[in-house]
Amino acid sequence: MIAFRYTKTDGAEYLSHLDLLRHIDRTLKRAQIKVKTSEGYNPHPRIFMNNPLGLGVKSVAEYCAADCDCTGDFAEAFNASSPSGIKCLAYREVAENPNFAYTIKSCGYCAEGIAAFDPEEILSRKSIVLTDTRGRQTDIRERIYALEFKDGKLFFTAGCGEKNLRPDFFCAFLEKTFGGRTHSVLKLCAFGENTF
Amino acid sequence: MIKFLGYYIICIMKVNLEAIKDLLLGVEKPSRYTGGEFGVPEMQESAFDFCMCFPDLYEVGMSNLGIKIVAESIRKRGFCADFCFAPYKDFGRGLKERGAPLYSLALKKPLKEFDMLGFSLQFELCYTNVLYMLDLAGIPLLRSERKDGSYPLIAVGGPCAVNPEPLADFVDVVFIGDGESIDADVAEIYVKHGGATEEFYKEISALDGVYCPALTRPVYEGGRIKEFEGVAKIKKALVKNLDGAVFPEEFAVPNCESVHDRAVIEVMRGCYRGCRFCQAGFIYRPVRRRSVETLTAQACALIKNTGYDEVSLNSLSTGDYPRLRELLKSLKQGLPDGVKLALPSLRADSFDGDFAQDSRRVSLTFAPEAGSQRLRDVINKDITLEEILRAAESAFDAGYSAVKLYFMLGLPTETDEDLEEINRICAYIKGAYRKKPRAKQLRISVSCSTFIPKPFTPFQWESQASEQEIERKQNVLKQTLRVKGVNLSWSDNFTARLEAVLARGDRRLCKVIMNAYENGCIFDSWDKELNKNGWIKAFADTGTDMREYTRERNEDEILAWDFIDVGVTKKFLLSERKKAYCGSVTGSCLSGCKGCGLQPDCEAANGGGK
Repeated sequence: MIAFRYTKTDGAEYLSHLDLLRHIDRTLKRAQIKVKTSEGYNPHPRIFMNNPLGLGVKSVAEYCAADCDCTGDFAEAFNASSPSGIKCLAYREVAENPNFAYTIKSCGYCAEGIAAFDPEEILSRKSIVLTDTRGRQTDIRERIYALEFKDGKLFFTAGCGEKNLRPDFFCAFLEKTFGGRTHSVLKLCAFGENTF
Repeated sequence: MIKFLGYYIICIMKVNLEAIKDLLLGVEKPSRYTGGEFGVPEMQESAFDFCMCFPDLYEVGMSNLGIKIVAESIRKRGFCADFCFAPYKDFGRGLKERGAPLYSLALKKPLKEFDMLGFSLQFELCYTNVLYMLDLAGIPLLRSERKDGSYPLIAVGGPCAVNPEPLADFVDVVFIGDGESIDADVAEIYVKHGGATEEFYKEISALDGVYCPALTRPVYEGGRIKEFEGVAKIKKALVKNLDGAVFPEEFAVPNCESVHDRAVIEVMRGCYRGCRFCQAGFIYRPVRRRSVETLTAQACALIKNTGYDEVSLNSLSTGDYPRLRELLKSLKQGLPDGVKLALPSLRADSFDGDFAQDSRRVSLTFAPEAGSQRLRDVINKDITLEEILRAAESAFDAGYSAVKLYFMLGLPTETDEDLEEINRICAYIKGAYRKKPRAKQLRISVSCSTFIPKPFTPFQWESQASEQEIERKQNVLKQTLRVKGVNLSWSDNFTARLEAVLARGDRRLCKVIMNAYENGCIFDSWDKELNKNGWIKAFADTGTDMREYTRERNEDEILAWDFIDVGVTKKFLLSERKKAYCGSVTGSCLSGCKGCGLQPDCEAANGGGK
């Protein structure tokens, strides 16, 4: 099995999760990397992705595992057949499914355009309750792990998976609170026992 | 210097996706509008920049093979061919609000900056969408308002172009017939003359397959066409050999799932059958086929280059391809394991359980079109109940458990008895299913569309039944369809009527279409988007009676599309009409030439084709 880190940039940030999966499947087919299929009534390729990224958020830290054997340079083969925004950055051979959707617990992001503010102002709050698109109220404070300004850009680490905080929602909240206009959110890294 | 300056202006005129990011994030499926698909060739501005426009959504247009062929033919001559699809209302509205122009997908270049826009007219209900796209591009809709030469040439092509008159006031060039070479020929002539000069129009209008509405004018007398001023017959463009014809080896793989998300090969063009209601069956004559070798090579290249896992074998009637078994065998050998084959247009009499063996589809579609044998003979469907049942049984044995049946309502000579026969077909199919014990319950859906008389068919003179009459027929059907578990559906009456008016329309309809667009009519084929009142108002405000267009035509009347020559003679169409009224079947071209007028170019007429 091959685990790999890849990008979602150059227009690919507008792809839905399901379309992204389809693109990875087709990229592997075009690269003639044979992926094993599940053994059920409806066999599907054994490709395992990390949790979906919000539409419009760019990333250089998407993770995926594909149950395949690849003798040559996987990245080279993948990139020769992938759409321009989906490029493999690193890969490794793994013995079993790293289950990125479960093992990735937090991610680091970089946002541009939000007006400068003192991160302490957020970090010192006990609770920040936001209403999500489905109308559910969630306290997001405990899902913010780090927050800092560097060269006018906001870097933050937020929860992923069970304690997920959508970076675009968080940025919209900061915009509303401190002003400015987010024009780019980039996922820089993911933290979990199997990432690289 | 001027060129340099022109290039500079174009460069800064590109639409920047980052600048419309908030719009993209606010609409449904933004990846429709971002371009960057895998498989799109590197594109650069060239001596002639063409944008292939499709007046429907990205997902629909990306499944269309014709526009890929036209774009490929233009690229082959060293020109640029980009794409643009009709944006859904949310994105269209957003562009307007921001004052941003509609742009092409690969170059992100405003449509206004191209040399030619080519719209593909797949069916009549897309006409207002052509205006919608021009409007979003900031291009005046009427040709008369684009005279200063600063706008691209507006061209149309595709099946509806055989009667281009309802769009005559909006377009500069109409391409009639096969698009493999004619569009690119016109591009070269444009470059030669340095633009759309008088000489350019003179030269292109001499070509087969090119019609320039500006050079002609229909003259009316007493509400009927008396003559066409300034035009002789315009012959359609015809590609005689499909094996040598342009075909893309690579498809752009859509960003989001398209309606038919798969590789497509075109097995044949044209149909041997000549069902009398079917426009495609006449305008695409004669039948031309690709060889097993060519098709296998094309399918293998497409699968390799796209990563699709399905190849569709397209034609009007794939079962009539004489070497179908050989083709399927060759494809199975050549394609990687696991690639499925789809045979979307099989007639019941050519369906064979074998074709379905290794795909796990559950639903099969038959199109008997009419309930009774008498009416099927009238329309020259040339299929019997026994054949339908044999096909259904062989499908059931192969594991199918659902049948979709297509019928038409309002066919010429149709009586209530003919409609009642639909019940009988359903009952027999159910009986065939019950002959053996089967695991699943059978599902039958009956879908009834309204008959629409189309140009260049033997029924081009027929009237369309009134809405009241169609409603009555639908009620008869509802009452007589007594087989349990049959799901009955039909097409919207007003939509069918509108399609009928536009299909046999003339130049006077331009103002109705314009009016309807101004009333907000777009995406007319969508049930939920159809703005019926907008259309009714447009007809009323322009003093146009829909009945004038749905009425029966006299056989000696000059029809709005008579100046176009698709190769099938009027004499043949008239004889077919007579035979229809006698219930006499003409049968397939393969059983002997019927003399439709295309014999010199027809393989089957000259002993080939078997």
